[in-house]
Amino acid sequence: MRFRSMGAREIAAGVREKKFSAAEVFEECLRTATDCEDRLSALAAVTAEAGRIQAKRVDEKVAKGEDPGLLAGVPVVIKDNICANGIRTAAGSRILGDWVPPYDATAWSLLADQGAVLLGKGSMDELATGVSDGSAAAVAAGYVPFSLGSDTGGSIRLPASYCGIYGLKPTYGLVSRYGMISYGSSLDQIGPFTRSVEDMELVMRVLARHDPKDSTSVSKNEIFARRTNTLKGRRIALVKEFMDFSPTLDQITADAMKRTIRLFEESGSEVIEVSLPTVARYAAACYYTIAASEAYTNFARFDGVRCGRAAEAAGLREMFETTRSEGFDGGVKSRIIVGTYLSEPDCYEKYYVAATRVRTLIAEEFYKTFDADRIDCILQPVTPSLSGKIGELNLYTLTANVAGLPAFSLPAGLQIIGPRWSDGELLDIGLEVEKISGAPKIAYFLQRR
Amino acid sequence: MSNMLKMSDFTPVIGIEIHIQLKTKSKMFCACPADYSGDEPNSRICPVCMGLPGSLPVLNRAVVHQGMLAGMALNCAVQPVTFFSRKAYYYPDLPKGFQTSGCDMPIAVNGWLEIKDDAGNPKKIRIHCLHIEEDVGKLLHSASDGRLEGADASYVDYNRAGLPLAEIVSEPDVSSAREAVEYVTALRRRVRYAGASDVDLEKGMMRFDANVSMKCADGRWGRKVEVKNMNSFRALERAIEYEIKRQRKIMEDGGEVLPETRHWNDAKGVTTASRVKASARKFMMEPDLPPLVVTPDWVEEARASLPEMPNEKTARYVEDMGLSEADAAVLTDSIDVARYFEGCVDAGANPARAGNWVRTEVLRVVNEKRCGADELTVKPASLAELICRIDDGRLSTTLAKRVFEAMLDGLTVDEALKKSGAAEGEVGADALGELVRATLAANPDVVEEIKSDKLDKNTKGKKIKFLQGLVMKETRGQARPDEVSKIIESALNLR
Ligand SMILES: [Zn+2]
Repeated sequence: MRFRSMGAREIAAGVREKKFSAAEVFEECLRTATDCEDRLSALAAVTAEAGRIQAKRVDEKVAKGEDPGLLAGVPVVIKDNICANGIRTAAGSRILGDWVPPYDATAWSLLADQGAVLLGKGSMDELATGVSDGSAAAVAAGYVPFSLGSDTGGSIRLPASYCGIYGLKPTYGLVSRYGMISYGSSLDQIGPFTRSVEDMELVMRVLARHDPKDSTSVSKNEIFARRTNTLKGRRIALVKEFMDFSPTLDQITADAMKRTIRLFEESGSEVIEVSLPTVARYAAACYYTIAASEAYTNFARFDGVRCGRAAEAAGLREMFETTRSEGFDGGVKSRIIVGTYLSEPDCYEKYYVAATRVRTLIAEEFYKTFDADRIDCILQPVTPSLSGKIGELNLYTLTANVAGLPAFSLPAGLQIIGPRWSDGELLDIGLEVEKISGAPKIAYFLQRR
Repeated sequence: MSNMLKMSDFTPVIGIEIHIQLKTKSKMFCACPADYSGDEPNSRICPVCMGLPGSLPVLNRAVVHQGMLAGMALNCAVQPVTFFSRKAYYYPDLPKGFQTSGCDMPIAVNGWLEIKDDAGNPKKIRIHCLHIEEDVGKLLHSASDGRLEGADASYVDYNRAGLPLAEIVSEPDVSSAREAVEYVTALRRRVRYAGASDVDLEKGMMRFDANVSMKCADGRWGRKVEVKNMNSFRALERAIEYEIKRQRKIMEDGGEVLPETRHWNDAKGVTTASRVKASARKFMMEPDLPPLVVTPDWVEEARASLPEMPNEKTARYVEDMGLSEADAAVLTDSIDVARYFEGCVDAGANPARAGNWVRTEVLRVVNEKRCGADELTVKPASLAELICRIDDGRLSTTLAKRVFEAMLDGLTVDEALKKSGAAEGEVGADALGELVRATLAANPDVVEEIKSDKLDKNTKGKKIKFLQGLVMKETRGQARPDEVSKIIESALNLR
């Protein structure tokens, strides 16, 4: 149990300094995962073989005196919609069958280049219609110090807050999406789960790279260089419309809000109230339309011709139909139907084009509010109800995706949302909060005795 | 009613959609090579052009440049901003289940081309727009006729998937099959001139669809029929002719032409209604590609690389060089030949003679070798040197042709002269004959004197020697004097 509670930075330092080997770390983490999996089902696949080879390579580098990287020997779980060369990737769907991608997602290859070791693929609902629950659970239970998820409308922040760990949905474009099986391309972002802000920053420094393979990716690594180690003088906003939902807040979330507001005020931050009427009123409809339209076209490639599962059928049309009706579950099917309908020629202007226009207004409203009131971040719950049904639209999280903003969910079930490219500052704020309220603990209760 | 209608009462209204493959090194959204001819099926593919889950497109800037060039060659205006859309439908040759296309905001709009109408008068065919989009894979069917119907199995080759295309949509300004062919011929020539595409029809780099409808003098309008699947000029011509006849017959019989998509069957020479109901293709913005901003600098860069177009060249050859319009048209048909010709003229060759040589000898060799004029071993400067030697009388045309043949093996003019049997500097009999005739023509008074009986034999001999001297001087002493005097005497009928 030496490594279970260790953070990524500590493990990497230990491996580099030869206090322990990457192989030792990997084997222990593998044992933890094996012990917990029958109760937790966090992993879609355990990649013991691939991981052992990677760990061995790290140890060889250390032995030869070469730089083993910032994440030397750190075991990691990546969500099963992120491709790793040679490792079966199903994205929670039957339709991909036993597909083995012939290439690495950029996010995974950046981690691997820094010496991270793959422990497994995080389980998930089909094609991201749900949440990155496996990746979050794997970090909470201490299989690994960090993992990767993807967030289209809250799928990083929701499981992070359910599990009491950190989850970051970065600014759209900060992390390459190449090799992540798209759901809503203009909403999707890959982001990490960690048990400390320090680790979150370490992982983001590795991930925030411009990728020539993703035309929506930008070069903004420098945003993590800034350091402001105080909450004094920060301006923290509460959104009036989102506080109006307070009666529906679970008591535990309501208490966390109160506690955190007090923490900010006592640390010298100014907590103010702002109003985002357009966001509150239209973000959900806008999100739903865009996500469904993009999902329907993104999922159109699953036809059984080039990869994944193909149904036996007499004709071409029958093959398409059977492959898709057998391969997809209800949640995905309903999104495909909605998306198809919304982009019908007579609905296209009325819904799809309207949604893209409203999206611009929503982004502008956020921008103007942040700018005019010189706000550092918005503080709000991740979800109004911790017992919410997984997969439901969650207005509290999807606004950040619609506007492309970074949102950092804190273990207490709250998130801070900042202007575009303020990811580094959100982590600075999170770190100060962590100093006062403490870092999350491993969920040991999951351990089989 | 039908008895009263004449053929001239029907006016065909035709719009043409052309797909051309833009000339680039790599595909539109990935680094796979664009030239896959002769390669194994599915050997030129990657996760991106296969549309594998997780892959993302990255726009090849060369495609934009080539698209702009094609647009400019067709007199279009380049749009400052264009974005890409997803055109969704299901077909096995379509890797992503949608085609990424710039159709919603085309890169070039409002162009035109001039052709001659059926009466021989100039006519403008307006071009609605040109947009760039990706090609799909190729379906191969195991049925004996290679068609989808009745095939036991089908295979897909994705080597072609993701190649850059430009779709060029005309306004419905075309009125006959002949005009259609003239329009696509002119368009092909200009696009090739611009270097935007090789437009090799045999390699499928140019494909046609036609929208055909009929207007009747009695006020009836037939509905628009989309005719697809034409891969050659001849197929386009036949398909339109067939469709005009078919629609006219329906209207003559008082029937109604249905709006539908029909496929051209080249083997049978008919169009048949497409069995698949043409469902409206669905569009949405391509979220994986940011809007494409074409800066004025970029437009200017493209414009600067655009060569003089064939029509302008023809006019210049006629006006500045005195060539006939027909000859100029032959010389400007392809840019490599035009450049070859201009190379000869620039190197000092007489334009009329250079024009003749290029139209006959050079084009013959180019056609025989199936190569470009720029690939010939005889460079324009060498041909110009040869032509100059004809002009100054050192070579006869017949001998020069032999020398040219020898030069095709990589010899210089002088080497070729030796090899073709004429010693260096030696003047052939033909050339000598020509020179003598020219010298006699230039000295009619001397000729008159020799021919008259006024002179004695001695004086006559001196006069002949005088002419011989002139010829020898012309040949710079390279001819044999006795041969020259023989030719002079025979030319004057003295022998
Ligand atoms: Zn490719």
